[in-house]
Amino acid sequence: MSKISEFFKGYADAFTLNIREHKENMTQVLRLSVADLKKTYTGSALGWAWAVIKPVFTIFIYWFAVSIGLRSGNDIGEYPYILWLIAGIVPWFFMTECITGGTVCIRKYSYLVTKMKYPLTTIPTFTNLSSLYVHLVLVVISIIMFWVMGFAPTVYLVQLPIYTILMFLFFNAWSLFAGMVSAISKDFSNLIKSVNIGIFWLSGVIWNIESVADNKLLKVIMMLNPVTFICYGYRNCFVDHKWFFEEPVELGVFIAWYVVLAVMSLWAYKKLRKEIPDVL
Amino acid sequence: MKDTVIKFDNVTKKYKLYSSTRKRLLAIFFKGIKYKEKVAVDNMNFEIERGESVALFGKNGAGKSTVLKMITGVSFPTSGDITVKGRVSALLELKSGFDQEFTGRQNIYLKGHILGLSDSEIKALEETIIEYSELGDYIDQPVRTYSSGMKSRLGFAINVNIKPEILIVDEALSVGDNAFKQKCQKTVNEIIEKDNVTLLFVTHQTAVAEEFCKRGIVMKNGKIVFDGPVKEASQYYKTKYNPPKKK
Repeated sequence: MSKISEFFKGYADAFTLNIREHKENMTQVLRLSVADLKKTYTGSALGWAWAVIKPVFTIFIYWFAVSIGLRSGNDIGEYPYILWLIAGIVPWFFMTECITGGTVCIRKYSYLVTKMKYPLTTIPTFTNLSSLYVHLVLVVISIIMFWVMGFAPTVYLVQLPIYTILMFLFFNAWSLFAGMVSAISKDFSNLIKSVNIGIFWLSGVIWNIESVADNKLLKVIMMLNPVTFICYGYRNCFVDHKWFFEEPVELGVFIAWYVVLAVMSLWAYKKLRKEIPDVL
Repeated sequence: MKDTVIKFDNVTKKYKLYSSTRKRLLAIFFKGIKYKEKVAVDNMNFEIERGESVALFGKNGAGKSTVLKMITGVSFPTSGDITVKGRVSALLELKSGFDQEFTGRQNIYLKGHILGLSDSEIKALEETIIEYSELGDYIDQPVRTYSSGMKSRLGFAINVNIKPEILIVDEALSVGDNAFKQKCQKTVNEIIEKDNVTLLFVTHQTAVAEEFCKRGIVMKNGKIVFDGPVKEASQYYKTKYNPPKKK
């Protein structure tokens, strides 16, 4: 009995420590997130423009490949394919940044771990915040693009922050877990880099999962994927006009995934916190 | 009344050595992956009181660096308890510990914040630090453009000027040219005498230690083998581990 309560206490302690470290270091976290952003984009001639050029270019390539190359970029509902694509790929840009960037965040900031006493749990938070700023800019640009093409914002857009927050929390837990494991060994980040491409193609970012709707089982499996949930959550706001509470099962599954990830990251924290400064 | 600022209570630090990083990764998920264990600090007990100046002697590999890292809070003991009261400023590895892309000035703020200073406190110290480091206009350039001497100077300037309560000095204060070196030694002397700072000094040069410290601790294989007045400690260290070279 005492063993079980001790087990839970360990996780509860790690959790409260995590919260406390964030609370006490909020200003430093914000400052480092801005610095991280600057670091990513300054030093090149076009500087900040890259934050927009890169995604625009990527969107163009996928649009070209699907619409022109595969000739399957049909309108989805009343929306042209390109807008439908934008609604789902903008959150994907953030997610892919977190999936791969999260695995290297602690290595990238190793001096904060090995040279000074810095709260380790906040490292993924500020690197992800830095990606979030770019994401928010892209969201604003998307809204403007929809407007320009004749689709004024609808009331469904007010739920967008809910999806953004869910996405951020989810990938923050991921980054803490992945960052700590790959601090021990680079193999892990290489593994994730390869898996990342698979996640992209399987999550219905550029093709509509409705096209497999005849196969009920397959569609259910697809919607259990947290990346798909976020992509189509953004599409609910922009093109599908659905409320998040209209899909309670999907939401529930996503939250279950989140709990699993959060527990994994706490587990990694408990197990690896003491070891990481010695191996980095 | 005793005012203990550093206390080691049965502290042991073991490093796990795996034959490859792949094995280290596997060991996270599976039990029973073989590794060798290296005991760097072996059941160590000591207390240091406020205002004491302690020299730490020991050959390479005796565990001195591990002890210092644990005091600064970077590294963690495998078992046992460490209590440290007060702001620790460590003059070790001065060149590292900067964000390479930040300017010198931004790094001052970064370090200050991590050490628990508020914005206004750092602002008050900013000019002193910049002047002390003798970096001039370079202070607003990214640290990656600095030479190693400049980095050490900035590191030293930050660490001695943030009003440390516990000062850790590793090895000789080999920072910059002779003039700067002398300035460093003078400053260290000053803050020890003036501010009732606790000093922990790690060195092989027993003569320098005798000048700075009153108490000496000798370590061997992660254990304390001598703890007493610095003269006796340096004598002990010299005769046992560092016999004078025959000419």
